[in-house]
Amino acid sequence: MLQTAPPHAKRHHSGLIGDQPAPPAQDIARLKKSKRDQAIHPGWLVAPASLWLIVFLVVPLIGIVVFSFWTPIRGGMTPDFTLINFGNFFRQEGFFDPEHRNFLKLGIFVTTLWTTFRFTITVMAVCLIIGYPIAFFLAMQVKNFKWQLALFLVAMVPFWTSYLIRAVAWLPMLGRRGLFNKMLMNLGVIDKPSSFFLYSEFGYTMALAQLYVVLCIGPIFFSLAKIDKDILEAARDMGASSYQVFREIILPLSLPGVAIGMIFLFVMLMGEFATAVVVYGGKTSTTGTVILNYYATANYPFAAVNAIMLMLAMMIGVFFILRVVDIRKEL
Amino acid sequence: MARWTRRRTKALAVKTGFSVYYVLFIIFIFGPMIAMFALSFQGRRGGTSFPMRGFSTYWWEKLLEPSSIGDLQGALARSLILALVVMVITALFSTMLAMAFRRKFRGSNLLFYTIMLGLMVPGVLLSLGLATLMRQIGIPPAWWSSGLGVHVVWTLPFGFLVMMAVFNRFDSSLEEAARDMGAGEWTVFREITLPLILPGIVAAGLFGFTLSYDEFARTTLLSGEYNTLPLDINASMTQRIRPTLFALGTASTIFSFCLIGLFIVVYTILYRRSR
Amino acid sequence: MTMPRKPTLHEMKTGLSRRRFVLTTAGAAAAGTMTGAPAIVYGAESIRTIGLGVSIINEIQSKASKDTGDRIRGQALGYGAMIGKMLNQNDQYEVAEGYFNDMDLMIPAKVWQPIDTKRIKNWDKVSNLTKTGRLTAGSSLGQGDAPFRHLWLNKDGSRASGPTQYISMLPGWHNADSIGYNPEETGRKIESWAELFSPDFKGKVALVNAPQIGTMDAAMAVEAMGLMKFGNKGDMTRAEIDQLVNFLIKKKKEGHFRAFWETFGQSVNLMVSGEVAIQSMWSPAVTAVKAEGVPCIYAAPKEGMRGWHGGCAISAKVTGKQLDAAYEYLNWWLDGWAGAFVARQGYYMSVWSNVKDHLSQEEWDFWYLGKPAAKELSDPFGTPIVKKGEVRDGGSYEARFKNIAVWNSLMKENDYLVKRWTEFLSA
Repeated sequence: MLQTAPPHAKRHHSGLIGDQPAPPAQDIARLKKSKRDQAIHPGWLVAPASLWLIVFLVVPLIGIVVFSFWTPIRGGMTPDFTLINFGNFFRQEGFFDPEHRNFLKLGIFVTTLWTTFRFTITVMAVCLIIGYPIAFFLAMQVKNFKWQLALFLVAMVPFWTSYLIRAVAWLPMLGRRGLFNKMLMNLGVIDKPSSFFLYSEFGYTMALAQLYVVLCIGPIFFSLAKIDKDILEAARDMGASSYQVFREIILPLSLPGVAIGMIFLFVMLMGEFATAVVVYGGKTSTTGTVILNYYATANYPFAAVNAIMLMLAMMIGVFFILRVVDIRKEL
Repeated sequence: MARWTRRRTKALAVKTGFSVYYVLFIIFIFGPMIAMFALSFQGRRGGTSFPMRGFSTYWWEKLLEPSSIGDLQGALARSLILALVVMVITALFSTMLAMAFRRKFRGSNLLFYTIMLGLMVPGVLLSLGLATLMRQIGIPPAWWSSGLGVHVVWTLPFGFLVMMAVFNRFDSSLEEAARDMGAGEWTVFREITLPLILPGIVAAGLFGFTLSYDEFARTTLLSGEYNTLPLDINASMTQRIRPTLFALGTASTIFSFCLIGLFIVVYTILYRRSR
Repeated sequence: MTMPRKPTLHEMKTGLSRRRFVLTTAGAAAAGTMTGAPAIVYGAESIRTIGLGVSIINEIQSKASKDTGDRIRGQALGYGAMIGKMLNQNDQYEVAEGYFNDMDLMIPAKVWQPIDTKRIKNWDKVSNLTKTGRLTAGSSLGQGDAPFRHLWLNKDGSRASGPTQYISMLPGWHNADSIGYNPEETGRKIESWAELFSPDFKGKVALVNAPQIGTMDAAMAVEAMGLMKFGNKGDMTRAEIDQLVNFLIKKKKEGHFRAFWETFGQSVNLMVSGEVAIQSMWSPAVTAVKAEGVPCIYAAPKEGMRGWHGGCAISAKVTGKQLDAAYEYLNWWLDGWAGAFVARQGYYMSVWSNVKDHLSQEEWDFWYLGKPAAKELSDPFGTPIVKKGEVRDGGSYEARFKNIAVWNSLMKENDYLVKRWTEFLSA
């Protein structure tokens, strides 16, 4: 029989999300009568997905790692074991030459990875600030599960239009002759069209937040929705202020959701390449664009090196997030 | 009594404040689409940016006609089918994995990070790695085989993490009670666990659908001789971008809203009946 | 009458593309299902061809299917996806509609087979632009990956120095690119690449975001300004790349660039929406801007233009009857119909004499001879794009191509170039 976490002392059942009917008594009576099924071993539960991952992820990934040690040649690569690709990632030419302008300067690809990381953190913060109140609203203020899901889905609708199409729509929206500029001019906020909104760091940040904020709302919403409303009510009855209730109960209980949302954002933003081109007008390099540039001219080994470094950075980030909040602790 | 009323008033104010914030948020995320809606009715001679050159439904009509570059309708159908299959597999796998992860088992950490790797590996290279492998074995790639494979690799971590959030601090006392009464594992799952985690499963599936429908980089070398919708749109950008794309975007937005409306109606009816 | 049934997996795989027929001509398609007769009768051979939206256009491949009797199916891709597929999956296509500037990747990779010119019916009519590099005797030789430098092969697929019986790719559509500008914004006629860096247009300039082409446009400009002198703009040295990129970084920090565009469509939108006044641009993109009612001129810089040349290659995997069919498709490209089709979009064809037969006199005069349009002209899809009396910017075919300064190229120092370009973009 499957061993589960020790049963909580609390016998009262609180619905997962909002008010959901608990199984009526006769159902439980029926369960009693039904014949005992076979116990499921976790091995069976993970086997299909594991097999899938081995075929479509692990094996190709081994390929990528192997490629990174091969020598790039025009139009392909030759089997080899060379560290030159990794060397080129980290150091500039003239790295060891005190006379050279690049003496002990880290490679541009390291810098790019670092810039990508810094920017990712900024956007993550923006998304959290925008998204948390939305998740809070859906979970705490909207009482009915039906409306919770419907309002969440509304926030997801833009995603069902291909991002390649949405990307084209940024220009008529935020451009010099775009709707936003027109609106501000009509309101008298500005007197001539501003080029600040598009192809700027500000526009880029906002676009990324707009694109990815939903990814962190989902998980936060789920952890908030599970909080037993009776506890909050009890705390208030004992005289706790709303702020205290939030800080002492709601916030700690929502942390696993925040952590999962942050993992989504961190990984998506680190790997980002398309938005930079469209909304920032290609005025920056991310590790994602570097990979594409080398891929397009068939220097696969060097593209692989950048990919491996990017994955390492992501892995460290995810590991760090999970160290701060252990989402598996209370499973 | 007075205290109770004050609390009600305050709660109402808070709720109104949050509702206003939600509406602003919706405007924010629909922002770039407003221009898209308007420009889908662009005049025959106009393009995908302002000014409007007249007003017409020309580009909407074009939506139904064969495109010159690529195959918009076929690609759309392929992408929808693919996304639906990915949705089902993602929901299924995520649930199974999360169920297994409710307790520690050997290799669970390794498996956890392997799943996460699907999220991290850059798409073009995953596609290159798998394409090279398939070529060695001699299996031709196709959107419904290798394409499906890497799409699930990409969506699974999302669904899985959502399910982890669902099972986090999961109250298993009801399951225990059912077991005590002699219910088998499958029965416990079907009658107790499943109804409780169903919203999570729906969310995992939705993530799967959304991410697959939008996926581009992973599919480049793996869709075989037929393009998925993002590949097709990408190809069409080597020429003039026509407002047909905006008509498509607007149409899918309207369609999505219809689906949500349908969901509300169906849910209301089902909920009533179950009572 | 056949009853509708569930499609099999195979039918789903192959038949989905036919769905558009069902959607548009529902009645006709229903009739077709009833009689069981397919709409188009295809020949025995099936040819898959891949490339960009420049040459993979449904109208072209379906006309080719009709004319050759084979089933020719095009798959249009973006540039990166196209290169990846051409190099790594030559078992996934029979014909590759590629570009001569990528030959340094394709020839060593041996993914294509040498094309036997004896099997090309119109080989003698193919212009000297690709065979010798000079369209006419007095033309100058462009720097970089000019087609003639990558054309000739030995029978085994290795490079040959001079004319042989075998070629790497059958030369097809081509064009010369330069600068597009909005005369209302610039306020003056643009006649030199140097204008790209004129302080007058600060903040209203865009470059193409491809290191290989972007640097070349920049090199043309810097050379025109007299700031630098290049040994070979199509194959720069590291020192040259360094000096050029350092200049670009300085310009970028001054806020000279509004954006870097990646696709054809983006460049059109940048100009139409008034974001930029002047940018490196492709000739049909200028036509597209004008068609949307925004004034746009395609400059003919005195320093010359940047050329590029596409064509059809055959995968190394193709043999037997399929190879015959592939040759048939290649020959069809030179027959003139396809050339006329792409001409109406502003591209030129390697066998122009055949194109002439498929264009009206007015079209020929406008597109190839650079004369004023005698009447309103349409693009191949029937949308009017040229007003009566308009003259094609850059003049006649001959005027453009006898002065190609440089051809799109993949330099030997490409890896270094991409690295410095990365640095430029993040600066």
